[in-house]
Amino acid sequence: MTHNPTVHPVTRPPAGPLRVVVVGAGMVGHRLVEDLLRQDPPGAGLAVHWVGDEAYAAYNRILLSEVLADRHDLAALELPRLTDPRLTTHLGVPVRRIDRAAHRVELADGRRLAYDHLVLATGADAVVPPLPGLTPRPRRAHVLRSVDDARDVLAGSLGAHHAVVLGGGLLGLEAATALRRRGVAVTLLQRDGQLAEAQLERRPAELLAATLRDLGIDVRCDDGIAEVLVDGGEVVAVRTCAGDLIATDLLLLSTGARPRDALAAEAGLPVRRGVVVGDDLRSPADPRISAVGDCAAPPEGGSGLVAPGWAQASWLAADLLASGASPRRPVAQSPTARPLTRLKAAGVDLVVMGERADGAPGGRSVTVDDPASRRSVSIVVRDGRLVGVTCLGAPDLSPSLSVAWERRTPTPVDPLALLLPEAAEEEGNPALMPGDTAVCRCNGVTKRDVVSAWDAGADSVPDVAQATRATTGCGGCRSLVCGLVDWLREVDPHPSAAGAPGHDDRSSSARQAVSQQQAPAGEQIVPERQHDAPLPATSASYGA
Amino acid sequence: MTVLGSPPSSVPAAASTSSDTAAGADPAARTVDTHCPYCALQCAMTLTVTPAPGGDRVEVAPRDFPTSQGGLCQKGWTAAALLDHPDRLLFPQVRGDDGELHRATWDEALELVASRIDAIRTADGPDAVAVFGGGGLTNEKAYTLGKFARLALRTAMIDYNGRFCMSSAAAAGNRSLGIDRGMPFPLPDLQGADAVLLLGSNVADTMPPFVAHLEGVRRRGGLVVVDPRTSATAALTESGQGLHLRTLPGADQVLLLGLLHLLVAEDLVDHAYLADRTTGWEDVRRAVATWWPQRVADRTGVPEAQLRQTAHLLAAASPGRGGRGAYVLTGRGAEQHVDGTDTVTAAINLALALGLPGRVGSGYGCLTGQGNGQGGREHGQKSDQLPGYRLIADPAARAHVAGVWGVDAEVIPGPGVPAVELLSRLGRPAAEGGVRALMVHGSNPVVSAPDAGAVAAGLASLDLLVVCDLVPNETTALADVVLPVTQWAEEDGTMTNLEGRLLRRRRAVDAPGEVRDELHVLADLAARLACPAPLAREAAEVTAELAAASAGGRADYGALTLERAGSDTGLHWPMPAGAPEGTPRLFLDRFAHPDGRARMIATSPPTGPADDVRADRPYYLATGRVLAQYQSGAQTRRVTALSRSAPGAHVEIHPQTARAVGVGDGDRVLVASDRGQLTAPVRLTRSIRPDTVFVPFHWPGEGRANSLTTAATDPVSGMPEFKTCAVSLAPAPPEESL
Repeated sequence: MTHNPTVHPVTRPPAGPLRVVVVGAGMVGHRLVEDLLRQDPPGAGLAVHWVGDEAYAAYNRILLSEVLADRHDLAALELPRLTDPRLTTHLGVPVRRIDRAAHRVELADGRRLAYDHLVLATGADAVVPPLPGLTPRPRRAHVLRSVDDARDVLAGSLGAHHAVVLGGGLLGLEAATALRRRGVAVTLLQRDGQLAEAQLERRPAELLAATLRDLGIDVRCDDGIAEVLVDGGEVVAVRTCAGDLIATDLLLLSTGARPRDALAAEAGLPVRRGVVVGDDLRSPADPRISAVGDCAAPPEGGSGLVAPGWAQASWLAADLLASGASPRRPVAQSPTARPLTRLKAAGVDLVVMGERADGAPGGRSVTVDDPASRRSVSIVVRDGRLVGVTCLGAPDLSPSLSVAWERRTPTPVDPLALLLPEAAEEEGNPALMPGDTAVCRCNGVTKRDVVSAWDAGADSVPDVAQATRATTGCGGCRSLVCGLVDWLREVDPHPSAAGAPGHDDRSSSARQAVSQQQAPAGEQIVPERQHDAPLPATSASYGA
Repeated sequence: MTVLGSPPSSVPAAASTSSDTAAGADPAARTVDTHCPYCALQCAMTLTVTPAPGGDRVEVAPRDFPTSQGGLCQKGWTAAALLDHPDRLLFPQVRGDDGELHRATWDEALELVASRIDAIRTADGPDAVAVFGGGGLTNEKAYTLGKFARLALRTAMIDYNGRFCMSSAAAAGNRSLGIDRGMPFPLPDLQGADAVLLLGSNVADTMPPFVAHLEGVRRRGGLVVVDPRTSATAALTESGQGLHLRTLPGADQVLLLGLLHLLVAEDLVDHAYLADRTTGWEDVRRAVATWWPQRVADRTGVPEAQLRQTAHLLAAASPGRGGRGAYVLTGRGAEQHVDGTDTVTAAINLALALGLPGRVGSGYGCLTGQGNGQGGREHGQKSDQLPGYRLIADPAARAHVAGVWGVDAEVIPGPGVPAVELLSRLGRPAAEGGVRALMVHGSNPVVSAPDAGAVAAGLASLDLLVVCDLVPNETTALADVVLPVTQWAEEDGTMTNLEGRLLRRRRAVDAPGEVRDELHVLADLAARLACPAPLAREAAEVTAELAAASAGGRADYGALTLERAGSDTGLHWPMPAGAPEGTPRLFLDRFAHPDGRARMIATSPPTGPADDVRADRPYYLATGRVLAQYQSGAQTRRVTALSRSAPGAHVEIHPQTARAVGVGDGDRVLVASDRGQLTAPVRLTRSIRPDTVFVPFHWPGEGRANSLTTAATDPVSGMPEFKTCAVSLAPAPPEESL
């Protein structure tokens, strides 16, 4: 990919506020407006008109599958309300046309909005495949793109017996698990061989299918829908390409999205599966018009994910407000690299990012393949950095990999260490513990100090506490001190206390009184103590 | 399990026996009840003073008290070692033409300081003279220092090292709750909770006896510790006692937003409480819509399952859902960031959404660090404040305080600048707002300030540096005049602990040599500087004046007397004149805003730390503390037992990282940031994240952690980002042979 240092005309007008019209009130349009308002330097002057054709205030579209899964409250999807004297919001009003010559957009209700700069953030529509039976669209056949769609699917799932999900991309996977979670029997059809083809290598895709089957989903790869059977305007069954007939009362079509670029096309701007824009996100045909998010076709390609759309929006907001040249927009490391993508499906942990293990020339790839536990993790390391991850079925590991990938922190000498959970620390055993091990952190008391106290006559936990102050801070070392005292009693008994059972809380003065009366030196054989030697077999250990 | 958290029952008994024995053994011995000189837990202790030739002998024993429950850590046990330490500063010193410090009389030293200050402010204006205070000073000293700056020096330029500790929590507490009292409830209340979420605090090392109060929640499996390290505190969650969320450094706000997102998504918030007691919930609710758990997991490194577990644990513990109660607590790890105020605000929002603050047995609190970090920020050491937490820009506040001081309100200067900004002005030309003379009280900024190399250079280029302290330190080494002052067991006064409880510090012994109480020093200097109102010299007088000056303010100490502070369990402010019994629990009826409601404020996290990792600085540095040292270590490094436990700086490195860098345990490693570097021995540990190294900040010289830290600050509070900066690691070059 080339990165020409693009110089674009400064759009800020010589006098009056900068007039920006943003078309599209989805997540990316919302981010753009929010950033414009937040970053606008005081006094510079800004007037934003924000137009959305859905009647709802901006909401978090990507959590719709979580709503379907009953893991997210539908009412809690709303994004922050943007209210500001510099902003006028027009909701539920489609844009009729763009008048490039006059620098105006015309709304369906006839209003006209003049702009210095126009940003298209119109998103994408769900694709409805041209299958027999789907035109006109029957009831019980759904897509999942808007909050209205989610409501319809939710309503349809109540009392549904068998759902068919067409399309094994991420959204199809999320919808299938969500419906299954609601107790509906689900068949997932994926025509092109493997699940999540855009994200996954072959092997993890197989394990992913197995994971879904474990959840009770009927996963059929290499099979699609030949015909949708409709009765009385409702879907009643599908006939698959393989010829099977599946009775169904809920068909969810998840076969991709198509950028909404019609407005731009009608205005004579170049479109090619999206509004064509350069590195600076401007249309090559009109520097006063930009496109961001799913409706755009930037040089690095569209991702269909929200994070790259947000990054575009934030960069564009800063660029529109900048008085001089702004830094070049950062784009993905390589055109083939996958953005960080994480499946949102209860019971399935899948995250991918960067290069794929099956196409990484020059990189070192390490794979852990554990089919029995439905786990497959592969990483690609190059120049001491993690550049690719495919992580299925390792939910405790995956966040640390995404952090390492995103921050580009150095990898271990042996990349395998990235995949192995932390080895459990060996619990301290009084006998094996080195002498300078801290026993009581609060008072800086080491094992050696406790042993010295013992040698000086201490014979119980309170004695040791008095002599060393161990246990007198947070008290957390009490069990460890008990363990040490018991161990010492075992391997190095004081003459009077040899064989005394359990924890002994007799006062030290009593013990001293006794010991002074007994046991002339040399008459009793005290076994040689080996502090750093293994415990005698009879002794208890106090690891915890 | 009771052994883990409860104070060993034998200890208080043993302690009182030993002090009785000591008193019994020597009829001349006497006992004095006071509190530890170090951290904000202010553990109760009894000093046994036995007259002996060559100076009284002082023995420390713990004393039962609601907060410390008869516990003491190694720092407290050994506190008396500093009373007669051979390094004590015993007489004033003045730097001579030979560049060395020489003994001087008090008259000579004070006269020199007064005349130099007078000359500098005549030439460069009063704001060319600045004061830098400390969070370890008694309430009386902190109050007097603020009054001295405003009246005797007539400077706006006063701030203090508490800016490095508490400022973010303070700013957020004031903004959201209307008042800043670290813990607005008594510490023992924690015992009954079902859940405690502790962010960025290593109490097991910094204030060990605190841990006893977590026993109940640990037994119920409800302690959740958020820390990039498996610190001693994080380890308290092991074996089913709770959860450790091992976040990426600087990701605390994202984590909190993610937890709140889950409460919203699953409708686990306390709607009735939110409606009755807060404003702004709708904004906050919408602002967390974009922090879904999978995204938060990838940003923080905390697995989604742990996020959900934590949210469910907190919700189940919340009183609105029938739980026994829950607490959200923050420490410096969450606060010492460029988004520290917003992080604390997010923590408060989480607590409010759960309906915790202002309910008995639940709440939000921040854990104050320095001994008087709470009181020290309430009575005029801060650049924008007057006593009682009044704002210096508020005409009514100025009029009230001027009335107590007996001066015209116009005499009181306006707001100054916060600590990092103040320190950045040291030595710069007065015409550019520079500071030419500085007085330092109870602080060692050469070690403790961020980007400490730049601070040392600034101090060295001053026309006058005056330092009051008890032992020499890295800042006195640069001073023109060093004045020896009293320490804990040699002075009277009051301290305000981490839960806003007023405690009595009692004088047990006479100060050695020519050491003087700072109250006297400031009063004498004020007299030489033609101060329009005399400064009180005795603690009791100052306490009375402080009480009057704070009365009616946010931190109302109106009914305070030395006697009341010395009562059995102390007293919590506010204690207005009409309610001398104090207020253990705040917010039970209303929050401290005019409408009585807590204000929920939506926050949004930055994309990363100010100084984020990159190809040439690929690791995070986190700084912090070890148990056996306190702050810049000037005191604790001199105590033999403590130095034996923690003899010098070290660098905690994960074994994988050490292998990649090519260093082994005990090897010296070079840690470098864009601002400076340090060398210290490696300590291999799996308790640290592989992408992060940890260095405690208590030491000067080549192991000084703050040579590396960034002076980037929080835009609201002025808090520096101590906790995260980007560093590179390399084996240290061999030490040059001597």
